[in-house]
Amino acid sequence: MSGIAVTVFVFLFLVVTVLGFAAARWRRADLDSLDEWGLGGRGFGTFIAWFLIGGDLYTAYTFIAVPATLYAGSVVGFFAVPYTIVAYPIIFVFLPRLWSVSHRHGYVTPADFVEGRYGSRTLGLAVALTGILATAPYIALQLVGIQSVLQVAGFGGSGNWFLKDLPLFLAFAVLAAYTYSSGLRAPALIAFVKDVLIYIVIIVAVIYLPHKLGGWGHIFSSAGDSFDTANKASVAAGQPPTKGLMPPPTLHWAYASLALGSALALFMYPHSVTGVLSTRNRGVIRRNAALLPAYSFLLGLLALLGFIAVAAGVKVSGNPPNPQLAVPQLFENEFPSWFAGVGYAAIAIGALVPAAIMSIAAANLFTRNIYRAYFRPDATPREEAQVSKIVSLVVKVGALVFVLALSRSFAINLQLLGGVWILQTFPAIVVGLYTRWFHRWALLVGWAVAMVYGTWAAYGVESPTQKHFGGPLVNFPFTETKFYIAGIAFLINLLVTIVLTIAFRAAKVDPGVDQTRGVDYTADLGDEEVEVELDPSRPAHA
Amino acid sequence: MSHDSPAPARRSSTGLWVAIIVILLPAVIIPLWVPLYDKSDPTLWGFPFFYWFQFALILMSAVLTVVAYLISLVADRRRRGEGR
Repeated sequence: MSGIAVTVFVFLFLVVTVLGFAAARWRRADLDSLDEWGLGGRGFGTFIAWFLIGGDLYTAYTFIAVPATLYAGSVVGFFAVPYTIVAYPIIFVFLPRLWSVSHRHGYVTPADFVEGRYGSRTLGLAVALTGILATAPYIALQLVGIQSVLQVAGFGGSGNWFLKDLPLFLAFAVLAAYTYSSGLRAPALIAFVKDVLIYIVIIVAVIYLPHKLGGWGHIFSSAGDSFDTANKASVAAGQPPTKGLMPPPTLHWAYASLALGSALALFMYPHSVTGVLSTRNRGVIRRNAALLPAYSFLLGLLALLGFIAVAAGVKVSGNPPNPQLAVPQLFENEFPSWFAGVGYAAIAIGALVPAAIMSIAAANLFTRNIYRAYFRPDATPREEAQVSKIVSLVVKVGALVFVLALSRSFAINLQLLGGVWILQTFPAIVVGLYTRWFHRWALLVGWAVAMVYGTWAAYGVESPTQKHFGGPLVNFPFTETKFYIAGIAFLINLLVTIVLTIAFRAAKVDPGVDQTRGVDYTADLGDEEVEVELDPSRPAHA
Repeated sequence: MSHDSPAPARRSSTGLWVAIIVILLPAVIIPLWVPLYDKSDPTLWGFPFFYWFQFALILMSAVLTVVAYLISLVADRRRRGEGR
């Protein structure tokens, strides 16, 4: 990478660092409570929420990994587009209910809601542990995203491991420091810079690069030719052809089930819930459901950078070649150096926003549903905020160690499992927003069975490069049709929960006390008992 | 009996929510109906049908969600109008 690109990259990174620390003073408040530190005061309007939630969901890893699958000729990766289309109508319907009940009862995490709704700390713990387990590898993958950029950009000395990873250490130390001091306000403010940069880079890329390479028609046809050549080579080597521009009919169910399963799982992730609960009222969430598809459009264009990279003849390094380097390498080869610097910065900063929100969300889960629920039932808001701040550091250090000490494919495997796991909290959370019919112990057993099944099924998937965790698809039971593991586990979860609910209800097993009332689910700002800013010292389960 | 006035108001707001679900349904079902759009032709600006159709679906779902949002405003107003 040239000096100009380095300068641009470092400059943008410094701007973001200053913003991160300055965020503590933005919408100034006492940051000694989870409502302020962990949810930004629950006062973000449509505009800020759009940047924050968009910056939260469309992560650096997404920007690296989705085009990488297309670059590698696996068009099923384009399911990311229908996935993000399907997600918003669904959340339009149920998320405002979660917002209302959380605002009424001071819930900070999805596990808080489950605990209050079902009167079960154990079920709350199950939801919290699932959330933490699913989020941790996701944070690690943000680091993988930064690493890809730094590697192509030629940052870091090639000497010992410490010098090689020094830029990554620096970036993460800075991130940890301002998350600690500013809480959710930091990523909210940085998200502006991140998203503006990403939009500029992508719009330029999808106009400039096709123009340079002879138009979209040429890009699709040359990517198709390249895949045909690769397929002929595999057939000649006695292996089945796997590449193409269109999904083969045998993978239709795979494509649809990946899209639907991921869409249902999206807002079960604790960091998505954190973003949603930081909004000012129900209208903000609904308006964002209509506005966030702009990011889906961006993601679709970005995915096509994979084909552009093929058409541009981008070659990636690594053995076996690492397709995740395709997009940074494309920037390096095709952009003038100053703009390549902007592109690298966009991806690297794009990793910081979700990493900050994810670590805050994981920390809140630990504080509320483990620390307070089991160790310090009368923790003060100040103490809660303090614990969360420290845990957010621990989580980030853990992610760093994870990526550096273990292999990157381990993080990717775990993230795959994370998607399977997090969907299993859907019955307790989303069905719980509408009905208390499910029995708490039935939900717990259903969750446990689905977790075990999903993990076992994913373990058994072989790919050409890996013996286990080779992909998200298995045959649907009793058929030969490929289907998303999370979806099968989810159906098993529902089945077990329904059957056991009937059994437990018939046996009159104690269903637990519900702290919520029907009107809690439709309460909005301006209604009785819904204050603009929650009083942090008020008991949460009043 | 006490449900003289709230009951009709609730029914009308429920009807609006049914309308919202019906409006949002295509945005969920069509993207999952893969055989519908898994083909190359007709192309648009060099994009195979498979790709441009999914971009078009993004626009469609955004428009449908805006419509649903406008209806939800009316539904919320009716709910508040229940005399609370």
